[in-house]
Amino acid sequence: MAEELIQVDLKGKEGAIRVRSKVSLWLKRGIPLLILAILALLPVFQIVEGTLNYWIHMLMYVFLYVIMSSSWNIIGGFAGYVSLGHNVFFALGAYFAGMLFLATRISPFISAPVAGLLAMGFGLLFGLIALRTRGSTFIISTIALVLLMAELFDNWKLTGGTNGLALPLIDLPGQFAKIPYYYYLLVVMVLCVVASYFIKHSKFGLALRAISQDETKAEVAGIPTRKYKILAFGLSGLFIGVAGAVWGSYLTYLRPSIFLTVSLGTSIVLNTILGGKGTIAGPVVGTAIMIAVNEFVVAKLGATELNIVVTGLILIFVLLFFPEGIVGSLKARNKLPSFLDWD
Amino acid sequence: MGTLVVENVVAGYGSGPNILKGLSLTVESGKAYCIIGPNGAGKSTLIKVIAGLLKPREGKIFFKGEDITPLRADQVLQRGLCYVPSDRSLFPDMTVKENLRMGGFVMRDTRKVDERIDELFAQFPILKEKSSQMAKTLSGGQQQLAAIARAMVLKPEMIMLDEPSLGLSPKVVQQIFGTITTLRDQGLTILLVEQNARKGLQIADMGVVLDLGTNSFEAPACDVLNDPRIQELYLGKRHQAVAAEECK
Amino acid sequence: MIQVIQILILGIALGGVYALMSSGMTLIFGVMRIVNLAHSAFIVLAAYLAFFVFKTFNIDPIVSMAFTMPVMFLVGVIYYRLLFASRADNPRFADITVLVTFATALVIEGILAFIFTGIYRSTTPTYAKTSINFGPFFIPQSQLYALIISIVLIVGLWMFMRYTRIGNAIRATMQNRNAAQVVGVNVTWISTLSFGIGLAMAGAAGSLLSFVFTFYPAKHIAWIGMIMCLVVLGGMGSLVGALVSSFLLATAAAYVNFYFGAAWSPITFYLSLFLILLFRPQGLFGKKVEG
Ligand SMILES: Nc1ncnc2c1ncn2[C@@H]1O[C@H](COP(=O)(O)OP(=O)(O)O)[C@@H](O)[C@H]1O
Ligand SMILES: [Mg+2]
Repeated sequence: MAEELIQVDLKGKEGAIRVRSKVSLWLKRGIPLLILAILALLPVFQIVEGTLNYWIHMLMYVFLYVIMSSSWNIIGGFAGYVSLGHNVFFALGAYFAGMLFLATRISPFISAPVAGLLAMGFGLLFGLIALRTRGSTFIISTIALVLLMAELFDNWKLTGGTNGLALPLIDLPGQFAKIPYYYYLLVVMVLCVVASYFIKHSKFGLALRAISQDETKAEVAGIPTRKYKILAFGLSGLFIGVAGAVWGSYLTYLRPSIFLTVSLGTSIVLNTILGGKGTIAGPVVGTAIMIAVNEFVVAKLGATELNIVVTGLILIFVLLFFPEGIVGSLKARNKLPSFLDWD
Repeated sequence: MGTLVVENVVAGYGSGPNILKGLSLTVESGKAYCIIGPNGAGKSTLIKVIAGLLKPREGKIFFKGEDITPLRADQVLQRGLCYVPSDRSLFPDMTVKENLRMGGFVMRDTRKVDERIDELFAQFPILKEKSSQMAKTLSGGQQQLAAIARAMVLKPEMIMLDEPSLGLSPKVVQQIFGTITTLRDQGLTILLVEQNARKGLQIADMGVVLDLGTNSFEAPACDVLNDPRIQELYLGKRHQAVAAEECK
Repeated sequence: MIQVIQILILGIALGGVYALMSSGMTLIFGVMRIVNLAHSAFIVLAAYLAFFVFKTFNIDPIVSMAFTMPVMFLVGVIYYRLLFASRADNPRFADITVLVTFATALVIEGILAFIFTGIYRSTTPTYAKTSINFGPFFIPQSQLYALIISIVLIVGLWMFMRYTRIGNAIRATMQNRNAAQVVGVNVTWISTLSFGIGLAMAGAAGSLLSFVFTFYPAKHIAWIGMIMCLVVLGGMGSLVGALVSSFLLATAAAYVNFYFGAAWSPITFYLSLFLILLFRPQGLFGKKVEG
């Protein structure tokens, strides 16, 4: 009798679990896809109504920063090598595509993938030097890279020095002008996040995570740590370079003071850590939140000085109390909503 | 009444699990104790707790009748209880003499420290010879000797040594154990942690087996050495006959 | 030839200030393994303090060191206690501290910009505008004073580290934190004190820089770039290394400035950083590669 009861109970439970897992799987996949669909359809409303320019612009910001953070995550999150200089890839992509356009009229939309490869090549080269060090020295070398690049571009005639380069506006009526950029960045962002998922779960990604746990042990286990780190650093530049090419053309002007600041490099890191470094959804969540917070601070307080104070304070708070970030902390407590569990 | 009494000590690192799970131990004055146990059993942790470098979560530690549980590391040193860590932990870019001076850091009277160092130089002539060399230039055995001498600067009543034979060649190990035996014969209470269980037990009066965070076994060193279970676990069967022979 | 020697004089004069700027950062790194990216922001903060007391009470910036040094010492003690003391055992400590201190630099920059705006400032005591001539050579009086005071402070720090009980404890903690604990050094206390001393040096540097250079809230970015290069080149944690690399790079930058133009002198710093990483990652006077 009792046994029967238990069996019935078990059956009921199993059934419930099965139903729940079906629903949760649906939510897990469905919610992100729904958001993606809305994002894909948004420009249609812009074309019809013409009132969404602000939202389109803000979303493009989000796409751009997600690309940068998700890419940074490959070396910073998976392998644990914190780089404060990833905006250098961004600048390289932008300047390459911009200068190419000025010289040959080849559209940045076409040259963007090449810009990405160039950024990646540069990443491999820089990694060859800087990845001889670890920890704090490595971080310092990445800051020095940004400062060095800023100095070079500030003084280089070919890049227009501090005045930078001006690019022509895209040849479209104002209310449509953003749309090609919007889709380009959206597609690159999706590719980038998907790529980071596959990298994380590949053998290569596993090796990177081993490096971040204990590099000496990883090396003893036969992982070619140096090669992998350099490769990860290069890969993390690829999509950022592409995004740089697109963004430069969108902005229509390229200046070191926009692309090559230490605070830009830092905000990439901040967004990722806030969201949860090493997780796939973290860079997306962190970026969306930080951009919303920044908009709020600027709108409410108006002062940009206080904006960096708030940025700094959030960063300190997160680093000291939630170093795993939002996604990481929620996951550790088993409270992560399934639609944010992309790992 | 032992000179050192450890009572039901529970300890661990940070917010991590308990490493020591209610460990008790009594050390009699003037005797040498050897703690053996598998890697990660918590032997070093126990010594750090006694030395005041790690606060226990529960339990108490008494030294010469005084409750030293709440004391800081420097206060424990001043009570005459010194510690030689397992990695020898010298100051690599200080000379041997400076290292010994640091051994007397908790004594404010520098003249007394220098007198003590001269005594130790007499006892360990090799250190006198190397006194103005950087510690990092010493050989492994010399470093171990320097670390022991550094602990001896305070003229302790009890000394704790964590795996003094680690990474040393058999010949050098022999010398270090000779030194420890001398210290024992001078009347020092000794608490020795040793991977090389057979050697450690040979120079000890008492053996303590630490496993899973509790002391599973405590007996005269000879008995531990001859215990079949211990032989199987830590000494290797082939030593059985030898061990029995060596122990009277 | 006269030109060449004149540049050397000016380079050396700057080297003294650079050495003072990097000494605190290298001390803090040596003892706590904290790469204090806020170091130059603290220097800028101290420069604003000196500027403030100069404007309001007409206190000479050199005299104001008696104020900026203890204030910055206290700031350092509180800052370390508040944010870092309890985390010194965290294995991810180094990475976290780099980001935390950089975030701190942003906070300081923002607050200074809010209070003092972005206008370029400097203190203007009478000696800031005159030069001392000897034969065909000259040295700005301000730089001479800054050089002398910097050297006095660094030699003082060095003697303190070598000949006092507490200084020995600091050196011991730098060399082997674990061993320092074993011989009874209270490393938490020593770390707090060292952070205080490091920032006191930043305080002194701020007072001196206030009449040697112009500054504005975001100036710390350029300075931290320079200080980082000096500290890495010298070997992180090495006081002597910081001193040598300061004089070396200051002089090199002065020549580069003269022969190639002002724009290239900061590039000297960054390029030498990458060169040293390429050929000797631990720096000129460094110990092995740290983790
Ligand atoms: N500083 C530390 N932080 C966290 N865990 C530690 C630390 N030191 C040792 N442990 C852990 O405590 C356990 C016991 O270590 P230990 O006392 O060194 O063992 P033994 O000396 O017997 O080999 C091990 O599991 C080890 O991983
Ligand atoms: Mg041990």
